[in-house]
Amino acid sequence: MVSQRLHVSSDLRSFMPAPTTPDQRLLMEQVGEGPGSRLLLVSISGATDAQLAGLSQGLVAALKHDAHYSQVINGSFDLGALDPKLLPYRYLLSPTLDTQPLDADYLADELQQRVDDLSSPAASLLKDLLPRDPTLEVLKLARQWAPAKSPQIREGVWFSPKDEALLLVQTVAAGFDPGAQQQAVDGIERAFHALPGSAQARLQLSGPGYFSVVMGAQTRHQADWIGRISTVGFIALLLLAYRSVASLLLSALPIASAALAGIAALTLVFPAVHGITLAFGFTLLGVAQEYPIRVLSHRRAGEDAVASVRALWPLLLTAIASACIAYAAFYASGVTGLQQLAVFTIVGLLVAGLSTRYLLPYLLPRRVRDVADMPWLKRARDLVDRLPRPRWIPLLVAAVIVALLWTARGPFWQNNLAALTPLPQAMLVHDARLRAALGAPDVRYLLVLSAPSEQGVLALSEKLQPAVDALLAKGAADALELPARYLPSVAVQRARQARLPDPATLRRELDAALQGLPFRSDVFAPFLHDVETARHLPPLTPENYASSPLGQRLAAMLVKRDGHWLGLGTVSGVRDVSALQALGAGSGGHVRLLDMKAASESLVVDYRNRILHALLLAALALVLTISFALRSVRRAWHVLAPMTLATFLVLAVERAIGIEISLFHLVALILAGGLGLHYALFFERDTGDAAEQRRVLHATIVCVLSALLVFGMLAWASIPVLRAIGLTVSLGVAFHFCLSILMAPHARQD
Amino acid sequence: MISGNKNRHPKRLARLLLSLPLLWVGASHCEAAVQVAPLPPATQALIAALGQAAPARTAFAEARFMRLLDRPLVVSGELAWLGGDQLQRRVAQPRAETATIANGEVTQQREGKRARHFSLARAPQLQVLLDSFVALLSGDAGRLQQAFVIERQGEAAGAWTLDLTPRDARVARTIARISIDGYGGQSRCMRMQEVDGDLAVDLLGPLAAKMPAQPTRESLAALCQGTP
Repeated sequence: MVSQRLHVSSDLRSFMPAPTTPDQRLLMEQVGEGPGSRLLLVSISGATDAQLAGLSQGLVAALKHDAHYSQVINGSFDLGALDPKLLPYRYLLSPTLDTQPLDADYLADELQQRVDDLSSPAASLLKDLLPRDPTLEVLKLARQWAPAKSPQIREGVWFSPKDEALLLVQTVAAGFDPGAQQQAVDGIERAFHALPGSAQARLQLSGPGYFSVVMGAQTRHQADWIGRISTVGFIALLLLAYRSVASLLLSALPIASAALAGIAALTLVFPAVHGITLAFGFTLLGVAQEYPIRVLSHRRAGEDAVASVRALWPLLLTAIASACIAYAAFYASGVTGLQQLAVFTIVGLLVAGLSTRYLLPYLLPRRVRDVADMPWLKRARDLVDRLPRPRWIPLLVAAVIVALLWTARGPFWQNNLAALTPLPQAMLVHDARLRAALGAPDVRYLLVLSAPSEQGVLALSEKLQPAVDALLAKGAADALELPARYLPSVAVQRARQARLPDPATLRRELDAALQGLPFRSDVFAPFLHDVETARHLPPLTPENYASSPLGQRLAAMLVKRDGHWLGLGTVSGVRDVSALQALGAGSGGHVRLLDMKAASESLVVDYRNRILHALLLAALALVLTISFALRSVRRAWHVLAPMTLATFLVLAVERAIGIEISLFHLVALILAGGLGLHYALFFERDTGDAAEQRRVLHATIVCVLSALLVFGMLAWASIPVLRAIGLTVSLGVAFHFCLSILMAPHARQD
Repeated sequence: MISGNKNRHPKRLARLLLSLPLLWVGASHCEAAVQVAPLPPATQALIAALGQAAPARTAFAEARFMRLLDRPLVVSGELAWLGGDQLQRRVAQPRAETATIANGEVTQQREGKRARHFSLARAPQLQVLLDSFVALLSGDAGRLQQAFVIERQGEAAGAWTLDLTPRDARVARTIARISIDGYGGQSRCMRMQEVDGDLAVDLLGPLAAKMPAQPTRESLAALCQGTP
């Protein structure tokens, strides 16, 4: 049942907080689905120019009809970029008619220029186009639509200064969908390797979609081998600790049942479970392994397993309840992914605890090795008991914490999501280089235009165009593309249509223009036909434009939101941000520059504040719970104080090393706190029985070692997120352990 | 970004025109040498004899017959080979214009207008012309043979004609044949026949001055193949 209903999603945006401001909403949409996120930059190198050009053309031909890609361009101008059906629209799309009527003077001038062109080297290229389009509107449009800064063209295709053939591929799949991007990337590589002569050439991809694919593969790969080593180590540890294979197998029972229960709960509550939730969830369930360990360590000879569990149960229950309260803080954060994590973990922990209490004891073998008899354990416990536990330890630790935090350099909080990327520097540099060579738009800035309707947006961008041109002339940016660049508003199209002369007038003007020119009289019949068709065409709207590649590009720039429309202008090569911001000055809020970096940082800050608030509430709930369970504030102090101090100590040490605290560090601190709480609870308990104390120590040592095994491995991962979690939890576990011992009440002095 | 300024228009226009691979005429210039049958020694000698020391200048008059036009376009001026792969075509009549090809770049300067630049790679047809002119003016038979299949009619002592058929299939789709007529050690005429029927005839050297006022294909053919 579970496997049928389980639907694993891979949309990373469910791990980002729900956006609240309009800018944040736009950011999330654009980063996931915007035009920039779907762009893959392709470079081919490693052969002669002619061979590379051939491969480039071959790749375009192969991918052109593939439904996964909406656009594949490599510099060879494709007249097919303007759908042949739309060719007559050129008179409505081109700005010529705005300033220049198609009268005899204009036509005469144009035709004279064509004559001159025909006697120049460019003749052969012009010949075929001339009868239909003597004023060369198609070329004016091509020039308008070409990227302002395009790479040099050799052998008819784009080349970078480093002799690589360049292509731009726009995928249909959104950038934030690693699964679909993986398919797109695989498709390109397959098509490339199927080309003849591609054996010695090298294909390199770049772009947000590709990065998410690489990151996904890296994460999976690392998670795999870390998981494997941890599992092997864990098994070895348990065998060493309990010398019993049966115990080992049985201790897996609570965890397995917890995992199943957790997944079942997820499928019931959420429509799709995120892959990362499952991965993180299992790590968090590492807390659950404590329960069987506690039970196993507390067995004594002659005692019924059931009885020993019963004795242990109140403390275990307190531990479970506290852990659940801590993870409930995740639920309060409002982030889908974290909510899933919370549900998974809480359900899992409850089931693990219950199965430990009600299932495990009945399954454990009667014969048991009482760990209290191990000689090394006796020595260890003695050592621990003899440790001085001065009352000033907490003060000392607090002082150290303050000192470390005070002297730490650098910002406290890590606001920049880009710092969390695990991509190698070389890949980022390569991407920047290709992006600059191809004139691909900046991923940081967007000019946002808002209007009540689609046509309103187009009209607004037409109004803005002169100001934009002035800015570009002054060098504030390399290029700024507004939606109206690809499609003028219906009003403008109709105005141009009205200026087209009727057939009789045009014929007359053309004849007058042809006077004295060597053209045959019947040559321009296709031109007359096209103008007549254009006079009666319905204006082009974004919908019926959408089927062509340019229409797709336009569709990405017009977004419907909350009943009104947004136009997104892409910017490249920004040099003067304040000038761009000034564009929006007089528009009454309809035009503004969106800084995606600032929006993403505000998102991170909001997210963090929300989690911190939730943590504060959880902390209060925790204090109350523990006090209630232990029925003594002083005892609660012995439990909560080490935990608090250890948490802050981890924070201080990480700051002292120079690490900026990110959201993942906070998550890891909660996890470490959950573990530390257990240690403190168990160390605090004083049953007066030395053997029992030894068992507590044994259990705790096994727990600490297993936690260090799992999270210590993570600390070696190359992915910053995993590293952050691994380091924080490892430090946390170590500090919690030490402080719990040092601050536990003295066994004899109770 | 709006192309409103007339003066800038032709420059961008030219750049665009030459980026259109409407005719995918590729230059096989950079590729490895094609293995070809050796030329008969007489042909080789003839081509070698045509060679001159750089800089070699020659007057020219060109008539272009095109399907689009009801009469030929006539220009005249001077061609200069400046050594290596550098060619200069200076047109004096009817409109002054200079085109210089050097280092894989074409620079076109028209009277009263700004210069336009474009890469030679964008105009493969120009590459073919460059190859043939340079090979002729420098007497480089090998280079000529790389790009064309050469047939000779007539003897080096009298009137002769070299018919060059492009080897590259893509070039052959637009240019059917280039014919060079000459007498003795001098080339007099270059005729470029395109596949769609258009013809460009260049009268070289002393023949340039003899361009008729109303040239026709026949009158020019007679002029080219006649004796001086």
